[in-house]
Amino acid sequence: MHYRNKIAMLVAATFSQQLWAQSVSGVVLDQKGQPIVGAEVSLAGSQVRVKTDAAGTFLLATPAGQLAELHVEAAQFAHRNLHLNVPEAGLNNVELRLAPTLLEVIDVKASPLHASATESALPVSVLSGEQLKMQQASTLGDTLKNQVGVHSNFYGSVASSPIIRGLDGPRVLITQNGLDAGDASRVGPDHSVASEAGTAEQIEVLRGPATLFYGSGAIGGVVNVVDERVPTRRDSRVNWQLERQSVNNEKLAAAAGQTSVGDVALYADGFWREQGNYKIPGVAETGSAEAAGGRVANTDSTGKGGTFGASYLLPNGFVGLSVGRLERQYGIPGHSHGGHEHEEDEAEANHAEERVFADLEQDRVQLHSQLNFSGGPLSQLNVKAGFTDYQHAEIEDGAIGTTFKNRSDEARLELLHREWLDWRGGLSLHYKHSDFAAVGDEAFTPPSTQEMLAVGWMEERHFGPLLLQTGARLERVTLKADQVLLPELAAHAHDGSEHDEHDHGGDQLIRTFAVDQNFKPYSLSAGLVWEYQDGYNAALSLSRSGRAPSAAELLSFGPHIGTNAYEIGALFRLNSTQDPHQAFALNKDPLDLEVSNNIDLTWRKYSGDVALVLNAFYNQVDNYYYQQNTGLFAEDGHDHAHNENEHADEAHDHSGELPVYLFRAADVNLHGFEAQLIWQFAPQWRWTQQVDYVRARLDGGGDLPRTPPLRLQSALSWQSAAFSAELRYSHYSKQDKVETLESATGSYNLLDANVSYYLDLFDQQLAVYLKGQNLTDEDARVHTSFLKDKAPLPGRSIGLGIRGEF
Amino acid sequence: MYSVKMKLLPLAIASAILAGCGDATTNIVEKEPIVIPDPHPPVATVAKGRLLVSDKNSAVVSVYDLDRSELLEQFQLINTPDAVYPSPGQRYAFVVQRATDRVQLVDGGQWQEDHGDHLHPYSEQPKLMSFQLNGSRPTHVQSNSSTTAVFMDGDAASKTPAAVVTVNEANISADKKDLPLLQYDTHMHGAAQPRGDQLISTIRDAASSDILPDKVGLYSQTAGKFSLSQTFTPTCPRLHGSAQNKGFIGFGCADGMLMIAQSGTTYSATKIANAADITGTNRIGTVEGHDDAAHFVGLAGALVFAVDPKSNTMSKIDWQAPANAAIVGYGFTAKAKHFVLLDNQGYLTVLNYSGSAFTLAGKVQVASDVAAMPTGSSLQLSLAGSEYRAYVSNPVSKAVVAVDLAKLQVTSTLQLNYTPHKLSWLGISL
Repeated sequence: MHYRNKIAMLVAATFSQQLWAQSVSGVVLDQKGQPIVGAEVSLAGSQVRVKTDAAGTFLLATPAGQLAELHVEAAQFAHRNLHLNVPEAGLNNVELRLAPTLLEVIDVKASPLHASATESALPVSVLSGEQLKMQQASTLGDTLKNQVGVHSNFYGSVASSPIIRGLDGPRVLITQNGLDAGDASRVGPDHSVASEAGTAEQIEVLRGPATLFYGSGAIGGVVNVVDERVPTRRDSRVNWQLERQSVNNEKLAAAAGQTSVGDVALYADGFWREQGNYKIPGVAETGSAEAAGGRVANTDSTGKGGTFGASYLLPNGFVGLSVGRLERQYGIPGHSHGGHEHEEDEAEANHAEERVFADLEQDRVQLHSQLNFSGGPLSQLNVKAGFTDYQHAEIEDGAIGTTFKNRSDEARLELLHREWLDWRGGLSLHYKHSDFAAVGDEAFTPPSTQEMLAVGWMEERHFGPLLLQTGARLERVTLKADQVLLPELAAHAHDGSEHDEHDHGGDQLIRTFAVDQNFKPYSLSAGLVWEYQDGYNAALSLSRSGRAPSAAELLSFGPHIGTNAYEIGALFRLNSTQDPHQAFALNKDPLDLEVSNNIDLTWRKYSGDVALVLNAFYNQVDNYYYQQNTGLFAEDGHDHAHNENEHADEAHDHSGELPVYLFRAADVNLHGFEAQLIWQFAPQWRWTQQVDYVRARLDGGGDLPRTPPLRLQSALSWQSAAFSAELRYSHYSKQDKVETLESATGSYNLLDANVSYYLDLFDQQLAVYLKGQNLTDEDARVHTSFLKDKAPLPGRSIGLGIRGEF
Repeated sequence: MYSVKMKLLPLAIASAILAGCGDATTNIVEKEPIVIPDPHPPVATVAKGRLLVSDKNSAVVSVYDLDRSELLEQFQLINTPDAVYPSPGQRYAFVVQRATDRVQLVDGGQWQEDHGDHLHPYSEQPKLMSFQLNGSRPTHVQSNSSTTAVFMDGDAASKTPAAVVTVNEANISADKKDLPLLQYDTHMHGAAQPRGDQLISTIRDAASSDILPDKVGLYSQTAGKFSLSQTFTPTCPRLHGSAQNKGFIGFGCADGMLMIAQSGTTYSATKIANAADITGTNRIGTVEGHDDAAHFVGLAGALVFAVDPKSNTMSKIDWQAPANAAIVGYGFTAKAKHFVLLDNQGYLTVLNYSGSAFTLAGKVQVASDVAAMPTGSSLQLSLAGSEYRAYVSNPVSKAVVAVDLAKLQVTSTLQLNYTPHKLSWLGISL
């Protein structure tokens, strides 16, 4: 009763300073009563955060006389929440004991109700700290490829993006601090993700439908790249990293630092990365007669970027702003154009390798704020807003071919209510607007604007050992495109040389449409986590998620070299009348929402010397939009671009033709499992074993293309005070569950290893490391890659790096 | 107050969104088309043709569109087919049901017509023709560029004599009943090669104990009946296997090859002795020819010979046979650019043909599961006429793989839900 009066008092003064009179002090111990050094103790709902000293003790200020929730986390221990009723006089000698765990228990920021990976009904994994520093690569896909359930769509080390449980592209959302990355990576596999792992704090992967928090684009999962660009801490720290890799002469320099001046926290980061074409043990193109052991052309890249952020730290939260810029130039491998190279003369032969690259620029402004209220119906207000201006130009032989632009605004407001009848939760409002345009030869998608407005509601409650998590989200997606084009695309009955003689001649008519699409997808989800015994839990998650198809899936009509296909959106269909000039017509059938019904089962054992996590999922997706091969071929459009010059007479060279794929919706089901076992079999030794598998098929028969194969990974690691080492073996099984026109891919094994040496020098904690990737120089082709037959994985690489923190 | 406002906002948004929840609406307004005066429209083509595949365990044959990799049509025939052969223009498939004395025809649906200045392509749905051939034990089906000769072996038990009918594609579409017929007076496992409106066909002595013929004759047509007009002098003991090219017709014999040369309307026969590599009871039992190839290819077990009818020589082709290989499929590709061999170890061997010699281009593994081959089944080969691509059916994996013969790689797999038996490519050839 006592504190109710205080709450009443504070309601009127929510935005004003609170009273900070009391302190709580205590000690953090392990199960054996030994102090834990460096454990972080924070006060929930505030920015108050301290670390335990050498004796494991801490002291922190709490608001005057009210319930306080302490949150304690330490590496390799399960984190713990403690509710305390702090008397006016403060509390001393609080003893907190933590249970050890082998699982990562980092707070997952992608979920509004922050939870660790061990407490979520939906499987989540987090790559952070040293693991992240060791696995960071120039692309997000390659950075995350060793995470369970995640594969890379390997696009020649330049644009690889992650595949979660067999899904990618418009089904996996990439976010930066919870806001859409705002790039063009969801539109084509050759478009790089505009985010950098070198300066990230942690990268979170939500496996399975996450539309509840993120909307349509997250039906398959979310990858959230978290950095401290909007700083929330008062302490000063800097971390930096330098690295060099042998396989592609990659050089990386990255640094991030933060400090505070008064109540203003400041953050800055920067990175520079350069890599050449990578070496391979065999040949680049399957079946090619070239000598083995060369390099894959156009797999070089350079990138640089920097971010600056500042926050005003309030006693009950923060408001901060960041600005960032990213520039990247990367080659586009496998981008050959219709047989031109056969006609090179002497002069041209000197630069036989056609240089095709993308030049990407992105400016991003983000505003983040969190305000905690100690009284009133609301406990927390989170605001995230972002503006992103992205563009990339694809440049061939010095001339800009196609430019992709995406300007997007996004705002997310989360209103968390105070615990009410033991329910925690709140509402989220989410708005996103993007203006997308592609101009040039390969502008396969017309300019479009997309607007999304959503309201979501999430609640969770503990019933003894059970945690119930529920949520719903309603969304309205509007897609507008003024210039949807239906050009003439002649259909022919054969591939003989005679066909050029008829059908041509006369003006070409491009039918033009103004399209206004409205979708109202909704998502429902319920999850149950049952902690039936200390250190064990079982979780069930059921969800129904709706997705509005993307602009590319609906409106495309043109050649897309990134996928080596002529892509046609679901707004069109094959012409039923035999029109020699026009193989496609407007689709008058309704365009349905994609709906995923997902069941996820998880079992975890997370304390003790053996940790085990098992996940199984079954995902039935109705109206899954996918590209169906029509059997037709169309010119890739390149000859038209060079009409004035010497290529005019090759306009019908078949080598410049692409297979025509039509987006259509069909019911599919995906199911699979993931398992992770971590065994600390001796104090310094740890053995990690993980396996993942997904099967993706059309209900009507047939398999989805580029489905990741069964994978088994085994890692042995050893850690002492001064050294750590890890040996990792990965076995990718053969994939013969293929789409009709896709070929099977053989199995391969990768062996990676790394060794780090830690030392304290010049008041810094330094780590010098050596990392080896693909030590056996395996010639491996990635089934999930669009470039499977053009770019194998890089050969053996030895990297040397140093990183420091102070 | 702020919190009240904050709570009303989501309510207002929720109710606005809730109307028509789960809906999708589309509004399309057609605008003035854009006119591009200089037309270079992207040309789409249907390139790959079609594939007819028979089921080992049923009388159903399936026709696939190879461009879309999809099943176009399935036909229920009268009996389970024993063999399938393409018609001269590769529009139709002869589906042979030997045991039940019947040949049915399936129209693949793709063909071209000569429109004077150009060949006009057609692409329609496949169909089962009402045209049928009925005769005792139809076995070898041999075509030249326009005509097919179907050899009916006859039957010793029922004393049904052998017969040959000739048919062209126009006869099939017109469902012609009275076809030119060669009626023998005894049964035999023979072979006939059509030449214009004549036939080069085998002769067996009715008194012989051997079911195989040992002589070859020229048969000419009068009023729809073929009669013997010339018997070639050299004998061809245990004759099996025949083929033709522009100028020659070749037959496989136990002691070599019988080669018949045509010069205008006159024919002459010579004998080519077996090469020294052919030993014991081995002999050339299979012969293949192509109008664009000067050489015949003769197969003697796993040995392959280039047979030159001009110099009357045969020379062994080193195709680097895998261990224990038996040849289960073979053929020339379009324009006789390659000769392709399929063996029972799961390899497709591609030989480049220069016009004077066969050289090994390479091998492609098309099946890795041949050890599990069911009895009575084998890998089967059919070569596309429209491009350099081979199709191999695999009864173990119940699939047909497509092999790019230039790149020497398997490019796609067509998964079936039945055990494939025989297959034939149909469509418009180069």
